[in-house]
Amino acid sequence: MKTPAIRIGAHRVTRRFGGLLANDGIDLAAAPGTIRGVVGGNGAGKTTLMRILQGLDQPDEGTVIVNDKPVRLANPADAFARGIGMVHQEFMLVQDLTLLENLILGREPVKRGGVIDRAAALAEARRLAALAGVELDWSLVASQAPVHLRQVVEILRLLYRGADVLILDEPTAVLAPRQVRDLLALLRRLRDEGRTILFISHKLDEVLSVCDGVTVLRGGRVVAATTPAEADIARLAELMVGEPVEFPRRVPHARTIGAPVVSLRGLTAVDSRGVTRLSVVDLDLRPAEIVGIAGVAGSGQDEMLAAIVGLRRPLAGRVLIEGADATALSISARRAAGVGYVSADRAHEGLCLPESIQGNVVAGRHRAPPFARAGLLRPPVIREHVRGALHRFGVVYRDETDPVRSLSGGNQQRVVIARELDRNPKALVAAQPTRGVDIAGIAYIHRQLLEFSKTGGAILLISEELEELMNLADRIVVLYRGRIAGELSGEDRSLAGIGRLMIGEAA
Amino acid sequence: MTLAAPGVLRPDWGTAVAAALPFVVALAVGAVLLAATGRNPIDVYALMAREGFGGANRIAATLTAATPILFTAVATAVSFRAGIFNVGVEGAFYLGGLAGAVVGFTLVSWPSPLLIPAELAAGALFGGMWLTLPGILRAWLEVDEVVSTLMLNFVAINLTLLLVNGPFLAPGSANSATPMIATAGWLPRLLPPTTLTLGFFIALAVLVLYFVWERLTPLGFEARLNGLNPRFSRAVGIDVRGLILKTMALSGMIGGLAGSAHALGVTHRFVVGFSPGYGWTGLAVALMGRNSAIGMLIGAIVFGALASAGTTVQLFSDIPLEIVDVLQGVVTIFAVVRFARIRKRPGRA
Repeated sequence: MKTPAIRIGAHRVTRRFGGLLANDGIDLAAAPGTIRGVVGGNGAGKTTLMRILQGLDQPDEGTVIVNDKPVRLANPADAFARGIGMVHQEFMLVQDLTLLENLILGREPVKRGGVIDRAAALAEARRLAALAGVELDWSLVASQAPVHLRQVVEILRLLYRGADVLILDEPTAVLAPRQVRDLLALLRRLRDEGRTILFISHKLDEVLSVCDGVTVLRGGRVVAATTPAEADIARLAELMVGEPVEFPRRVPHARTIGAPVVSLRGLTAVDSRGVTRLSVVDLDLRPAEIVGIAGVAGSGQDEMLAAIVGLRRPLAGRVLIEGADATALSISARRAAGVGYVSADRAHEGLCLPESIQGNVVAGRHRAPPFARAGLLRPPVIREHVRGALHRFGVVYRDETDPVRSLSGGNQQRVVIARELDRNPKALVAAQPTRGVDIAGIAYIHRQLLEFSKTGGAILLISEELEELMNLADRIVVLYRGRIAGELSGEDRSLAGIGRLMIGEAA
Repeated sequence: MTLAAPGVLRPDWGTAVAAALPFVVALAVGAVLLAATGRNPIDVYALMAREGFGGANRIAATLTAATPILFTAVATAVSFRAGIFNVGVEGAFYLGGLAGAVVGFTLVSWPSPLLIPAELAAGALFGGMWLTLPGILRAWLEVDEVVSTLMLNFVAINLTLLLVNGPFLAPGSANSATPMIATAGWLPRLLPPTTLTLGFFIALAVLVLYFVWERLTPLGFEARLNGLNPRFSRAVGIDVRGLILKTMALSGMIGGLAGSAHALGVTHRFVVGFSPGYGWTGLAVALMGRNSAIGMLIGAIVFGALASAGTTVQLFSDIPLEIVDVLQGVVTIFAVVRFARIRKRPGRA
């Protein structure tokens, strides 16, 4: 077969949702054996375009191009039959199955009698792992496997099923720098073998380092199709936002004045499966201080915040709020004592998506004056107050009774921050506060966090974005396997140092 | 499910439309069945509509039949809204009916203005206590409420059977029934000679209170949040255990009130087989009404009309009573189908 010029692409793809033009005449072309980056902010149309390329959605106008020919992809199975597979941002592995079982799920090799042929499966798995240049214990249960191995298995699963076009949505979001390098190396190897990769990311340095070409989307249109040789990070960011972006940054310094707002003493905690994730951790968080928590996903961050916020009782140790033992307090008592919480899981914990914007802002305080009186809610008072808060936190919305899911990701996150900061907490536990938020939104949220800190608020910032920690935190505590691997403060800290601590090496 | 988030006090028409769809489908299925057995569906439906709504007597009969369904629908909706799949209203209905009857035949010397509230309160009290039990089990021990409330229905029904054959059996009575409630304890008839009693208006009042509860009270707001997203409601500091306990108690109280109102208004005593499944019909109505007040009112009246028309229709024609069961069954099945789901899912940009 003659090699096509375009392995996968789009020609004048337009997709409307009601009055919203999600994709507006998008052209995209990825030659076989290349990596094409797709970047853009929230609402730029990346997700819609990827859904179309994967057969989950159909364009209103224009067509998908596969092997130089216009095609109509009826569903994901149709796309897969043409060799197109996707790794989603949220991992799709079955938690209780082993990595091997996850690999072959849905296409199991069988012996006579319909029994799964484990030997054949394992042989194939090893062949794929060798091809990818990774070492894997295939008998690990997925939930126990380190996050970067799960990521690799997601990719190998596509290869196992015969895909040679890989669509990767934010594949490096949860990895440590070293693991990111390994993953990018894997992608380059796959490309050199002739596979075609669409790499969706907002980490522009990674895009520039691994991609052969970059397509920039903004407001549903292609605003540029360029190459790493022609563009740098600042140029890409400007293309994405439409104007130069400036990130707030503050000079870190040790803040020792003031009694700690939140203290952890010998904190040991287990996850929902009973696995110990946090071992004997001590930490103090003082007023006006931003403490960053870094670590590979699953290093104990979730358990630390659960213990502080009150989502789960720790196994041992104490949580103190302003010096008073709060280990046994309820969530609402801790909130009353001044703890705010920005959840990493905006869709399932940070917001109630079908509920109105005002309901989301007032939730948790709806029983307190002035929002309720004589046992009844006071909608006019609530509306007035919510309007003020939404205005102060720059939320763009149509009507405060609209469901919060009608907002863009960045605006949804602003609603979360509005709710939490409007309560005037003393300490804010912020987990991945800018996840899924575009560059302009990130800068805005960073300014809000810094503003809160300037007025004396303490912030525990748990983030996978090391740049975010570097820009905002006074000191960065790195967790490795549930223990504090090290702490970096002052101007001399480096990304490389954090990266080494994250995988258990000395800084 | 695409539950619209209604603004406070803004009627929710989308929900009302979704509630009407199952009836349309049911009428179509019923028409096919009737046509297949050689009857003209339009004639039959016209006859049923006449029997259900033709004249004050028939409307009164329909509203009387709708009364227990409206009560049990609201009782169910209170817990459904909070995300608790409570199927125990049938049991509360039995217990409340017995409690109301016992008060009614015991305090025979009390005047109506005291006796009727006492009877109703007894029903609400026992129903409320009854469903508090699975509430505690769910809130503290994470016992699945579907299983516990389902099983407690059998306990409640057989407990009332035991009591009505023992301490509360009417002297000299052969069948399992309590003595008659003192006439002062009967719910007054509003439009004699029709059967319509004050019970329907109590049910309406409960429905209005439910409407206010879900839109304007903190507990109703918490219930909605918890039903839509339990992790969120927990994270913003809502006391989820207390919420479960309160909504279960409330659900049981309304279910018990339903039972005592039925005893005082219709049967005038407690008899074995007290409920022909009102708790379940109410559950179906709550599902098809999507827990909305207007949807449940329409659903209860339609089911009431089916019940009252069904019994008389077969007196005047050769139409089998079973067609009513078929219609009810089809309505219930399609009520549970989430029509909103079938619509194309909106994509994300």
